[in-house]
Amino acid sequence: MINLVYNEMLKIVRKKRLFIISAIIAVLVGLFTYAQYKHVQDVQKRLGTTDWRTQLQQQIIDTQNRLNSSGISEEWRKFLKIRLQQQQYYLDHNINPSAPGAPTFMRMFVENSIELFLPLMVMVVVADLVSSEASGGTMKLLLTRPVKRWKILLSKYIAMGVSISFIMLALVVLSYAISGAVFGYGGWNLPLLTGFTVQGEELNTANVHLIPQWKYLLIELGLASFVAIVVGTLTFMLSVIMRSTAAVMGIMLAALISGAILSNMVSSWESAKYLFMVNLRLTDYISGAAPPIAGMTLGFSIGVLAVWGLVALIVSFFVFITRDVY
Amino acid sequence: MTDTLVVQNLRKTIGKKEIIKGLSFSLREGEVFGFLGPNGAGKTTTIRMLVGLIKPTSGRVSICGYDLQRQFADAIRHVGCIVENPELYPYLSGWENLEHFARMLPSFSKERLQEVVHLVGLQHRIHDRVRTYSLGMRQRLGIAQALLGQPKVLILDEPTNGLDPVGIREMREFIRLLAEKEKLSVLVSSHLLSEIQLMCDRVAIMAKGEIIRIDDVETLLKEQARVYWKVDSLERAKNILANETTVLETDGMLVTGYEASQLAVWNEKLVQAGIRVSEIQPKLPTLEDLFIELTGGETID
Amino acid sequence: MKAVASMRRFFLSCLIRFIIVPWKQRKGDSVKINSVKIIAILSVLASILWGYGLVAMVQDQFFHPAASAPLKNVAKTKNDHALHLVALGDSLTRGTGDETGKGYVGYLVDDLRTKTKQPLQVTNLAVKGLRSKELVEQLKQPEIQRQLKQADLVCLTIGGNDLFQGGESLRNFSPQRIKQTEHAYLQNLETIFRTIRTANSQAIVFYISLYNPFQQLNNGQITSKIVRQWNYDSAEVAARYPNIIAVPTYDLFELHTNEYLYSDQFHPNKEGYKLIGERVSALITFAKGEGK
Repeated sequence: MINLVYNEMLKIVRKKRLFIISAIIAVLVGLFTYAQYKHVQDVQKRLGTTDWRTQLQQQIIDTQNRLNSSGISEEWRKFLKIRLQQQQYYLDHNINPSAPGAPTFMRMFVENSIELFLPLMVMVVVADLVSSEASGGTMKLLLTRPVKRWKILLSKYIAMGVSISFIMLALVVLSYAISGAVFGYGGWNLPLLTGFTVQGEELNTANVHLIPQWKYLLIELGLASFVAIVVGTLTFMLSVIMRSTAAVMGIMLAALISGAILSNMVSSWESAKYLFMVNLRLTDYISGAAPPIAGMTLGFSIGVLAVWGLVALIVSFFVFITRDVY
Repeated sequence: MTDTLVVQNLRKTIGKKEIIKGLSFSLREGEVFGFLGPNGAGKTTTIRMLVGLIKPTSGRVSICGYDLQRQFADAIRHVGCIVENPELYPYLSGWENLEHFARMLPSFSKERLQEVVHLVGLQHRIHDRVRTYSLGMRQRLGIAQALLGQPKVLILDEPTNGLDPVGIREMREFIRLLAEKEKLSVLVSSHLLSEIQLMCDRVAIMAKGEIIRIDDVETLLKEQARVYWKVDSLERAKNILANETTVLETDGMLVTGYEASQLAVWNEKLVQAGIRVSEIQPKLPTLEDLFIELTGGETID
Repeated sequence: MKAVASMRRFFLSCLIRFIIVPWKQRKGDSVKINSVKIIAILSVLASILWGYGLVAMVQDQFFHPAASAPLKNVAKTKNDHALHLVALGDSLTRGTGDETGKGYVGYLVDDLRTKTKQPLQVTNLAVKGLRSKELVEQLKQPEIQRQLKQADLVCLTIGGNDLFQGGESLRNFSPQRIKQTEHAYLQNLETIFRTIRTANSQAIVFYISLYNPFQQLNNGQITSKIVRQWNYDSAEVAARYPNIIAVPTYDLFELHTNEYLYSDQFHPNKEGYKLIGERVSALITFAKGEGK
């Protein structure tokens, strides 16, 4: 088995995909670091202070004003209200949620990339894992070895897991190294609040507790890798079913982007919560943002994603083992 | 001689259409077996069933005594194959490709890799990327990977497809060498009779999913070969030859069966009768002729 | 249990194959770096980290005891020598109606910057539609308290939404209801001033009083009377506290009401805000202000 996995890793590495992805991450992190740096400077200039409490208070007031203006949608209003309560909570407890530093940047980067960017990167690697063998004709060689088909597919799946892990590692290392050059490398022990639960329009703070940023980050990375694995598994299934890598990418892209759009507008379509793409923002539950559809919780979303992933896995193995190769 | 590959009553149905209609044949050790048929006769489907890429609807394939369905790994270990074009990973070098496939075998050694590389004569370019290889080199690399596991049966689908004349000859010689020296059973499919004739010991002719005939190549050819006579007096010559054998007339030429020992005798008779013979032309049957002959006028589609 | 055992075997064979064997081979072979192996090893190690993250998530999110962690207080930092301006109140302080978004606070700050080189820190805490009662609530928040403590100057507009209630109250007003509203408002105003003074006894507070946006409507006479009374009573409250100055605006809008009003006929426009800003600015002189 280890030989098979090695084979798959060799192919992935030789296709240079992992390096391209690392390069993309590096460029994006650079861009975001610069943007964040500019933003911080701008805020300081506008308020004439570096005191985060003043900045946070100003954000709260801005949010309140937005809440009071007419013509904002009900969902948005709800979202703002919850954010307001949260910001107020941070303020009341003297915690700066956006203290500068590479770990904070990393955390924000992970939170913002979990829905689209990370799945996209995963897709780039996984989309052609099986379909390229089918379209390139090497599938015939692969399947006429004295190795059972399920073992071949399993080795590919393990290689997928390893690649995803590598992508995450690249994300973490690059965002830490690059943003740290600007914001400094400290801030691992910054206390952060978690355990918010949203009930209707109210923020339930009964379970709120402090954890150090490194742990918070670790939790978010765990969730991100879970999301990446699920998205990877779905892409994997499509890759098994279809010969054309472009078709695989197209379908996944459509699903992911529609997920990003849907999350903003499905609050009235309740059964949409069973779609995998609106459940990708797992880190929102940790930071306490409102879910796109009322009644969604961390456990629910993990459950939905796990079911999707499991079904995709079963389908891909079933199809791969029983299919005739022409 | 023992049978290495035995096929019994192999069938494949897709939807309601029966594509392969009950094939049975077997390969002996050290022989080259030809699989002859026009495109669409079911050669490729059959070969894919032999190597486990397609599951037969019914029937049985056994390789060196192992059932392909039930003991896949044991059975397929004795088979090396190239199905259609030898498609390898273009972004890896030839050596890495071989290593890749070798790692999928139960055991492998660097020595065996070197051995097959030498066998196909690729030692100079083996560390280049496959992307830079010519078709002939890819074909040879394909054979190298098929031979890696020291198989008893080698299955090659259209091995000379796309090769230049020199390449075709090399390939032919190579295949013969494998059968004679290494005692491999080689199954070669082709839609060119000339190729089969030069390479194979036995041949199975397929059309529309059925094997019409299995026989030694020589027997088959002898039966079907023709001799064309060009003479100045068609009517008289026809009468004379008709006494000896069956004669047909086409395009101002006479056609008789091919009997090597008798040709000179017939010619002598014609000359003695004062008929001037300007051409005696033995002709191998075309595949088309063979089919028309064997299927009784059924055309190739 | 079997799964665990096979997992362990897998990791062991990983270890042997990827680390120990290559390490031994390196002695004989030339040093050839195998990027595939390095990537694989790093990734497998990293995946342990992600796995731990998931475990930590489950522990933290699903099985966390409901005890709330102790939150420590951070020492308060009174910022340097900058002049702190805190603006409180409703949409007027926010600047609604001014297309540049500055509002009178913006123009005031612009003016002050020409008068002094001292750095100026502005915190605008105004919320659109705020009523006196809500301001009382807002002032209770610790962060607002903290801001107030640091303030050197405080600007405040309040009462507009109490009195006009989006224009309704004055259109079909009853003297009885106005009286009630005003009574409640004055009490709140008292509380507001007291809170500010308690938090910061030094800062100069500018209470900007109301103008009458409905001056030119048919019952302008009556509404003007109400607004005048309202302003007078508010000024009375302000007068009870040291350094709380009621700044009139009624006169600014009296003559050319429509020229200074925004298209909603309620909020000032850019010109209107400029007038208010200039008026407040005129009250601040730095020879005195800097002395404290």
